[in-house]
Amino acid sequence: MDIGFVIVSAVTLACVYGTLAIGLSITWSSLGLVNMAYGVTFAAAGYGAWLVAEQLQAIDALADMTLVVGPVVILAGILTGAVCGLIVCAIAFIPIHDKPNFTVRGLIASLALSLIGTQFLLQVFGPRAKNLPPLFGDWELPLGNVVVTADKGGAMVTSVVMLALALRWMRSSRRGLEIRAMMMNPHAASLVGIGVRRTGFYVMALTGGLAGLASVLLSQTYFISPFSGLTPLIKGLSVALLGGLGSVGGAIAAAILLGINEALTSALLGGQYVLITQFLLIILVLLVRPRGIAGILDKAREA
Amino acid sequence: MGEVWKNPLTPWRGDAEPAEAASDPWRDPGEVWRAKRASSVPMHKVGRLRYFWKAQGHGERTWNRLRYWPTRRRVLDIRGEYNPKILRREKTILDRRPIYWALSFLAILLAPLIVPGDLQSTLISAGTVFLIYAAINLCWTLIIGTAGIFSLATMAVVGAAAYGAAAMSVFYGWPWWTLPFVGAGIGLVFGVVIALPATRLDGFYYALLTLGLNELCRVYVVQSRTFGSATGGLYGADSFIPAGLSPFGELATGYYAAFALMLVALALFRFVHGKRLGRILRMAPEKREAFAQAVGINYRAARIQVFILSSAALGLIGGFYASYFRGASPSLFSFDAVLLGLAMLVIGGIGRSEGAVAGTFIVILIDKVFLSLGPIRLIVIGLIMLGVVLFLKNGLFGIKQQFRAWRNKKKSENRSSRAEKGGEMLPEEATETEDKDLIYARRFDKMQRDYLKTIVSERLIEEHQRNPLGQHSEPLERLLMYFRRQPQVDKYAITVIEPFKAYRIVALSGHRGVAPRLVEEKTYPTEAEAYHAVFLRRVQDLLEY
Repeated sequence: MDIGFVIVSAVTLACVYGTLAIGLSITWSSLGLVNMAYGVTFAAAGYGAWLVAEQLQAIDALADMTLVVGPVVILAGILTGAVCGLIVCAIAFIPIHDKPNFTVRGLIASLALSLIGTQFLLQVFGPRAKNLPPLFGDWELPLGNVVVTADKGGAMVTSVVMLALALRWMRSSRRGLEIRAMMMNPHAASLVGIGVRRTGFYVMALTGGLAGLASVLLSQTYFISPFSGLTPLIKGLSVALLGGLGSVGGAIAAAILLGINEALTSALLGGQYVLITQFLLIILVLLVRPRGIAGILDKAREA
Repeated sequence: MGEVWKNPLTPWRGDAEPAEAASDPWRDPGEVWRAKRASSVPMHKVGRLRYFWKAQGHGERTWNRLRYWPTRRRVLDIRGEYNPKILRREKTILDRRPIYWALSFLAILLAPLIVPGDLQSTLISAGTVFLIYAAINLCWTLIIGTAGIFSLATMAVVGAAAYGAAAMSVFYGWPWWTLPFVGAGIGLVFGVVIALPATRLDGFYYALLTLGLNELCRVYVVQSRTFGSATGGLYGADSFIPAGLSPFGELATGYYAAFALMLVALALFRFVHGKRLGRILRMAPEKREAFAQAVGINYRAARIQVFILSSAALGLIGGFYASYFRGASPSLFSFDAVLLGLAMLVIGGIGRSEGAVAGTFIVILIDKVFLSLGPIRLIVIGLIMLGVVLFLKNGLFGIKQQFRAWRNKKKSENRSSRAEKGGEMLPEEATETEDKDLIYARRFDKMQRDYLKTIVSERLIEEHQRNPLGQHSEPLERLLMYFRRQPQVDKYAITVIEPFKAYRIVALSGHRGVAPRLVEEKTYPTEAEAYHAVFLRRVQDLLEY
């Protein structure tokens, strides 16, 4: 196996899973919701992007223009993801966020949504996998003896740029300030007049959009199917767990760590051992630091 | 307004008193009563007490009850009591659950015999799956509900045990009766391994981690060649169903074996949840661990014990699974299996044995019997799960408790809106009072005052001023009668300072030996003026009260 290829795919996956993990992490720390419907949001965003891509392919004039098709399809994915996030928020967060035992009920409600959504996608689109047209053109960038192909390079660059934009928005805008206040202390945030429900919608739209982005980027390499959200969900959760739920920096560190682990394991032991080493690593880290790499040890969030 | 009152004494008294006076029209005292009775507060039937069905009792036998070994427990929790209203003894069954359990066991036992012939294979195998999953969920509800460890790796334990047992049977030819024990051993080891992080991690970290472990098992099994990645599972294990039975015999053997398995799981639930471990853990629910620790309860050890016990039991069920299905398949580890299992628990109610069994029944019924619906049946299950989570506190079997809490809330809301100021008693006070006549006396008094307030007018006061003593019009007479009837405490009276020259108003103490107190400094020159002053004070008190 080519070590360069492995490294490039590991970095790409790390970028994409890091995006997902940051979405999950923001949701948990600001809303107290473990969003298990993230996998479905991911799959649905893939289908949304696919529908738009199909429509664009039908127009002859646009069929070859990657510069137009690419951004439009990515945008469609992000929008679908955001809409799915809003739906999840309206069903699994708004009605129960002030009820007793919210954390468990929210988890179960989002799991139920995940079950419903997956089966709905299966019913509507059928079990056959779909794939998107190449969004980043067809080029190769040789870096020494490593070759970065168009899909991977594009995915890396786009995810980093979009993530940077999202984080920048969170740092500089009024809404971002509200979200960050909720992440620090939801109770105090509501005391100073930040609407919990309204912020819930912002957060879920933002994180849903991130899931949509990840979905479109990942479907450059993999296919879109009703069950395609599961692996990214598990990976995103692992990254978020390892990094410490609620910490953006921790999620980035964890994504890099897990990417390195994946590349090393595939190169040294073989592909089927990736998950095993990954979970051993996570368990080891969590045994040492029960709240992840960057997690705060005392009870930061009393759901 | 236009009423005229004629003095009936005119023919005898001559011109000493006026022959007639303008008066107010007569008012019905019942008006106030009726207005009061027509309550403005909506009264619902919510305010009922708990209903118990009463059986006729036989006094001597109340204490001779069947108790079963090795406990001193009774089969049914029956309270015997004497009902003073009907002068007879009565029995009340306080907990009817054993009856329902017995009836459902009977139904499960008889079900295969009444299944129609053409549906036999579908329904009986669905029933077997139901019983196996009920056993699994009973162990799972011990982990989530009793131990409070939010583990999603249950199906991973079952699957690992099933795979291990199937491998022993396929590769080494072990007989079927060893498989559950092999499974229990694997479950024990697996339980110990995954219990390690549980000592350190908080609820959600642990849930997510175990979900990942489940996925890890699935990916490993799907990719592994020894575990049949090519054939879609590891098959060929020894089965406990003997060869050469009729199709119905095979189905029924599997079914009744699974029933026995569920009974074993129920016994485990009973002995863990209802005994010492369960008591300890109920003392230390989530977020109140610090208190339990302070009282000297080692809840961590108890949680881990329950977890490991349940894991061993899950392993045993896994071994049974392998020998029933003659192998194991990767679908045991699928995310949907975890989701459906969780749906079963959530629909019934986490932490209750009846919830685990009933939830399993509902989900398996939809999932395995209505196969023709396709993906819609999973959507239906998801919708039920969602509805239960959004609207119910603890599943279907928590409805009763939730309804009672809601009804009590409504009761107290209604009660507080009914409570008015005045002579009447508050509802709480009324239930506490021994002498119920007092309540009605106070209510009558309140009604009467409400009525009298309506008849007080300028004209009435003028009439009294004109003629404080003697014959009065009907409303004034009612008013005066009421004033006269009042108790002695703080009743106004007139004291004579100097006869025919000076009078003063005092208030009686109502107690023998305690002198009346002076109400005001003013002295009145005539008796009639003093009478009228007392009247005015009483009217004022009535209107202000």
